Amino acid sequence: MSEAIHTEGNGFHTEYMTLNVGPQHPSTHGVLRFVVKTDGEVIREAIPDVGYLHRSIEKIGEKVTWHGYVPYTDRADYLAAMFANQGFCMAAEKLGGIEVTRRGEFCRVIACELNRIASHLIAVGTFGQDIGAVTPFLHALRERETINDLMEMICGARLTYNYLRIGGVGYDITPETCDRITAFLDHFEPITDEYDRLLSYNKIYVERLANVAVITREEAFQYNIVGPNLRACGVKWDIRRDIPYSVYPELEFEVPIGTGERGTLGDCYDRYMVRVREIRESCKITRQALKMLPKGPAIAKVPRKFKPPAGEVYVRVEAPRGDMGYYVVSDGSEYPYRVRIRTGSFTAMGIIDKLSRGLMVADLIALIASLDVDAPEIDR
Amino acid sequence: MEAVNGYVRNIFETVTTIFEGMAITFSHLMRRPMTVQYPDRIPKPVQETLPLRYRGILEVDMDICTGCLACERVCPITCITIGIDMNKETKQRSFSHFDIDICKCMYCGLCAEVCPTGSIRHSQEFEGASYNPAGLVRHFVAQPVGLYKPKKGGETDPTLAKKVEVGMKYLDEFATPEGAGGAGKEEG
Repeated sequence: MSEAIHTEGNGFHTEYMTLNVGPQHPSTHGVLRFVVKTDGEVIREAIPDVGYLHRSIEKIGEKVTWHGYVPYTDRADYLAAMFANQGFCMAAEKLGGIEVTRRGEFCRVIACELNRIASHLIAVGTFGQDIGAVTPFLHALRERETINDLMEMICGARLTYNYLRIGGVGYDITPETCDRITAFLDHFEPITDEYDRLLSYNKIYVERLANVAVITREEAFQYNIVGPNLRACGVKWDIRRDIPYSVYPELEFEVPIGTGERGTLGDCYDRYMVRVREIRESCKITRQALKMLPKGPAIAKVPRKFKPPAGEVYVRVEAPRGDMGYYVVSDGSEYPYRVRIRTGSFTAMGIIDKLSRGLMVADLIALIASLDVDAPEIDR
Repeated sequence: MEAVNGYVRNIFETVTTIFEGMAITFSHLMRRPMTVQYPDRIPKPVQETLPLRYRGILEVDMDICTGCLACERVCPITCITIGIDMNKETKQRSFSHFDIDICKCMYCGLCAEVCPTGSIRHSQEFEGASYNPAGLVRHFVAQPVGLYKPKKGGETDPTLAKKVEVGMKYLDEFATPEGAGGAGKEEG
């Protein structure tokens, strides 16, 4: 890493400069703010300042009914609303002892995996844009647009889906939509190879990311890094595989992990490649789920005035930004007593200060982009 | 020698990967463009291409609204306000107002799901710009209208029957425990 320019009494009258990055900055993925102390172009300290997008979603949970809270969870992470839906619905189902219908589970898997592709497309697209490659961003967004259209056919919304209901899904997936999804996957899978040629193997891109901001296995555990960021450190940990939920045990898929192919294990490039490979795995899962889609009702019988018995549950789902946990307490009334959401982006923010020390300012941007932090998910 | 080799290889790799990217960009010159010139230079208005379950701005068909207040109660954000008056002489109940605040509405679709006749539903309309917030409150009752009473054995009035049919078709989009809605109904 770069040598310190500023030392006490070096005779040059140098000093640290405090630089404000954000909250309105094109490369901070939402309203994020960093107070950066720089020494020339080298970062000595980067303190994340969160809270600019706080909407008190957890408190709202205590004021609305169980069914009425589901659309609010969309806003917890608007790039992957389906997973926030699923976390809360699973918590409510566990409390109320409701079994989701089989078709409902498969509809959930299809919708979730499509959402994961869309979310990772944003992640890898903006990653390229932050590094300076604008074209791949447009290519990623073009494909995401088709997914948005599919989501529109599945649930009627493009971003805040509110597709899942307690006990199943709100709308059934029609055969016509199934055909459209298959057609999209047929078109999309070759595009991922094209995307690799355009961005992933580009020498300039690789050089910018390899060996930058390495997270070791131990650090990842200490800082509670989850999801693709953890898998990039070589840890094979995926909630879908290790703490199975829904119908994931019936589906075959790989858990891609970082290999350190272009540099060190756990560098920015590994975090990027894990996401690219997860997109391919999600395509595979979606195809299987479409093939296995059983007949029957898509939603179980749930009373409109849903009152689960008193108790508390913690459920976790594998969201695109890692382990998303819902801790829900019920006191047997019409409203949840407490809803707590645990998200992957929040813990990822904690490691930024440690990793950024000694990095160049431009590499800080690569680090933030590689962790794929999402402002609404940090603050909730 | 090693250093020179590495230096030359780096340059070679950079140039080839850049040209590979350029080739992909160039191939897009031959492909059909994905962009459309919204709003006027498209063959069909966007509203007409949207699926039936698209959740646009809410609309209410007052002729088939039963006044059960299910939508008002289920709305998590209370953007629907309904007023029902009772005429003391004739004992007839009628709507005094039925307002939906589009500013507040978060397009979750819960109100449309609980409606028994499908009178409140999301339209395909999404262009709702207004100069002031008051302009975004949709009033559906101009003068007091009576409540709709569903008749046993189907609607006989042809105009109302058509409206009920539209509402029921909209409700079919939702999944139900009986397996209705989309594929479940046809296949079993």
